[in-house]
Amino acid sequence: MADEVVQETVVKKSNWGLNLDWWAVLVALALALLVRVGWLQHISW
Amino acid sequence: MATAALALENERQNPLLRVAALIPGILLLAAIGLAAKWIEQSINGYTKAHHIVFPNIEYVLWAIVIGLLIGNLMKVPAIFQAGIDTYEFWLKAGIVLLGSRFLVADIRKLTGISLVLVFVEIGGSLLLMTALGKAFGLRPKLINLLAIGSSVCGVSAIIASKGAIDADDEDSSFAIAAILALGAISLVAFPAIGSALHMSNNAYGLWAGLAVDNTAEATAAGALFSDAAGKVAVLTKTCRNAMIGFVVLGYAIYWARKGQAGVIGNKAAFLWQKFPKFVLGFLVISVAVSLGTFNADQVKSLANLSRWAFLLTFAGVGLRTNFRVLSKQGLRPFVVGVMGEVLIAVLTLGLVIGANRIWTL
Repeated sequence: MADEVVQETVVKKSNWGLNLDWWAVLVALALALLVRVGWLQHISW
Repeated sequence: MATAALALENERQNPLLRVAALIPGILLLAAIGLAAKWIEQSINGYTKAHHIVFPNIEYVLWAIVIGLLIGNLMKVPAIFQAGIDTYEFWLKAGIVLLGSRFLVADIRKLTGISLVLVFVEIGGSLLLMTALGKAFGLRPKLINLLAIGSSVCGVSAIIASKGAIDADDEDSSFAIAAILALGAISLVAFPAIGSALHMSNNAYGLWAGLAVDNTAEATAAGALFSDAAGKVAVLTKTCRNAMIGFVVLGYAIYWARKGQAGVIGNKAAFLWQKFPKFVLGFLVISVAVSLGTFNADQVKSLANLSRWAFLLTFAGVGLRTNFRVLSKQGLRPFVVGVMGEVLIAVLTLGLVIGANRIWTL
């Protein structure tokens, strides 16, 4: 179990590297830019 | 065998293959999320059409329940795993986009209140968990990991501290399992208590953000109460997340002085390394919206994009929660975790009720 939970979490983190936060920021800002320039419009929920 | 290893190595090195490997799991998250939305809308439509009084069960709960059923009743094929793990990425992207729903003035008001409560919560949680861990005879570093996980931000904080205080894998796994198990319990307990106490959206969101440890579970626990409460829960939880570096640094210095962990060289670099960068993205979007960079329709689109990102997160929370794995953790860390979390939930509830009297949340 030591390894099941820690390994799973650590491996998951390292797969994305330390840049997961930055990737999330970049993708979110890119989406915001697409909305701003009108390429993404009227996103419904 | 050699061919399979070579194929795996190729997949690791080729960015296109790595992205392609994410697609099945992301599609599974999306399918669960869409099914959850469909169930919510179908039940609402049916009960309205037949004039049946029935409580609205949010898509959030359906997404988590479907994920739990799939993750616990069947073996999810390995092809989905990489994509399922992206739920944390969607959570962070969703938080950045959620910035569109906060004007800077809102953030200043809510963050001011949140920060005061976050400081009290972190101090109280660290003291409580440390006292309980000592009373139950847990190992010192396990006590530290439980204290850090319950006071700041769950699994991320434990992972961040593991290297800094040189804790072993077994202690980390106990602490992570305890925090994940308690997160699963909070998804049921918090909305029920909030409803029973007739808490306002702001008060409940503040409480969920202060008391639920993992960011994904705090977001879900808030959204299970209401959309508005989910928004406040995320903001409060983000304030807690921002403190991670300071708390981990404190413990790292303590263990380094005892000669049981590496010495921290550049403390400012350490703090920056541990700082959750998505908070900056959240602020950038919020400032842009406050400055009028986006029109009303665009702001609505950004808010809805954030909801879609959270939908994938909630599906991932359900899929990721494996009761078989959680049940294997040691009894004593779990008992300490449960007692500590219950006390922290009561402490933070008291703080929120007190704050509500002063500031009328």
